[in-house]
Amino acid sequence: MNLIIISALSGVVMMFSGLFVKNNRTISYIATALIIFLSLATMCELGAKSWFNIPQAEAMLRTSVYGKLIGVILTIATTFYFVLSGKDIERVGKHVADYYALMFFVLAGAGILLSFQNLLMLFLGVEILTIPLFILTGAQKQNLKSNEASLKYFLMGAFSTGIMLMGIVLIYGAMGSFDLSVIGKKAQFATPIHGANLMGLLLLLASMAFKVSAAPFHFWTPDVYDGAPTVFTSFMATIVKVAAVVAFIRLFEGSMEPFHTSKWQILVSILIACTLLVGNITAVFQQSVKRMLAYSSISQAGYMLFAVFAFNAFGKEGITIYGLSYSLATIGIFSVLSKMQDITFDGFNGLARQYPGIAFALTVFVLSLAGIPLTGGFLGKFYMISAGAASNSSYTWLFILAILCAAVSVYYYFRIIQAMYFKERVSDTPVFEVPVSKAFPILLIVVAALIILIGINPQILLQYLYF
Amino acid sequence: MYLLDALSTPAQYLPIAIQFAFGVLFVAGMIAISHFLGPKRNTSDKLDTFESGIEQIGNARQPMAIKYFLVAILFVLFDVEVIFFYPYALNFKSLGWEGFAAVCMFVTFFFAGFFYIYKKGALKWED
Repeated sequence: MNLIIISALSGVVMMFSGLFVKNNRTISYIATALIIFLSLATMCELGAKSWFNIPQAEAMLRTSVYGKLIGVILTIATTFYFVLSGKDIERVGKHVADYYALMFFVLAGAGILLSFQNLLMLFLGVEILTIPLFILTGAQKQNLKSNEASLKYFLMGAFSTGIMLMGIVLIYGAMGSFDLSVIGKKAQFATPIHGANLMGLLLLLASMAFKVSAAPFHFWTPDVYDGAPTVFTSFMATIVKVAAVVAFIRLFEGSMEPFHTSKWQILVSILIACTLLVGNITAVFQQSVKRMLAYSSISQAGYMLFAVFAFNAFGKEGITIYGLSYSLATIGIFSVLSKMQDITFDGFNGLARQYPGIAFALTVFVLSLAGIPLTGGFLGKFYMISAGAASNSSYTWLFILAILCAAVSVYYYFRIIQAMYFKERVSDTPVFEVPVSKAFPILLIVVAALIILIGINPQILLQYLYF
Repeated sequence: MYLLDALSTPAQYLPIAIQFAFGVLFVAGMIAISHFLGPKRNTSDKLDTFESGIEQIGNARQPMAIKYFLVAILFVLFDVEVIFFYPYALNFKSLGWEGFAAVCMFVTFFFAGFFYIYKKGALKWED
């Protein structure tokens, strides 16, 4: 509850601070202070009780330890995002305070998605999560690509929300309740599964797959991520995506358990295989790093979906590690990318000579995304695949495919390292549009150190799951 | 029981299917009949876009002021908020001081929103 209430209030505070504070830097400082307070609040909730005791909301929202831990991860990732990319958010347009406000509202939506107990709250959370994103995507009003991306995202998002509502309606028709636990109980006795219920589940699966941009529902992702201002792409590809995946798990985990027959795993395994193949193979052909990261985010979603395939403790632990390490690494890369002149691979040429600190941190991020041992990304992938193997070991082809796709991803991720260390800079144009501050490389290295820390000792994160 | 329990076998959906087919055929048939039977005398005036009898001027695809839209949407927002007062007025006595405090809070939020749009310049008519 702390996350939902305090982030919504922070959003309102940011809106009003835009009226009174004219200096963009000050607005960024206010936002950073609020997000640090928000992370502390979520940590307090994880350690002790919530500050807000609202028993009436129990039927709608029920926080679990897992949801609280993911909330902490999301707010910590957002804190790093604000600190690393604050200056880039200021450069997007005139309404800086409003951008921050919208991002706080997104966090409120994420908070609802982490704790919903009722299908209506799922719908509400998804809406609160995505509507600010439509606006953020179109934040560069003069940029035609940004406008196009925003419209595309809005139309597609509206359709997928419609599909979700149809699914909810069908499930309500078959089960007579929106409450997840009631649905779960009734479904245990309803064999064979009611046709309407099955259809509803399929529609919900399709719309949630759209939200996490799993293939074949991924077509909006590259265009939207490419068209949106680079800083906001970073936010969408990380924090929003992790929240959506956790909502996906929460929706199908406990209440829908009776449906987890062998057929369910066939369906999800096809989804995962498509996502991994499309994401990785298309990313190989990209010239723009931004677009490559959009496809890479599709493929990373494929790994995260293993938790939906497995529904076991391994999967949950895996999402915890994966969520944090993937978010931090991607936020780090995007924070560099959004400062750069040239966002193709060539733009990275010779970066290591001019900025060794930044190049080192970027290398760690890239290694983590590719899943090289000692980084958090490796453990994340390891946990996800072993979660799948633990739940049903007969899907050997899927696990081999996942490992092969990780090998393919090494190719396009390492092109960044190759450009930074082994290529000479030909043109005289500076690497960055704006001069980077002295603190920026240090911050990046701190984030990189955090990723390695998770990779070496995941228990510092996982112990909170078993308080 | 539940809404969809009555319809559980495919055969029971047959009336619905017939109704669907009838609906589609009826509409398509009506359009086709009027297309074949109706007289057609096309003049340049008739082929013009109908603009309530006024001759059309220029292209419709040009930028237009968003002020009207903004004022209209703000009106709708505050109009809907006022609707919440009606149930409160009916239950004024039974809700007591607690209800009064809740409505005061509501009005505070309401005014905060009004203050926000005023400060943002949404109500400024002249540029």
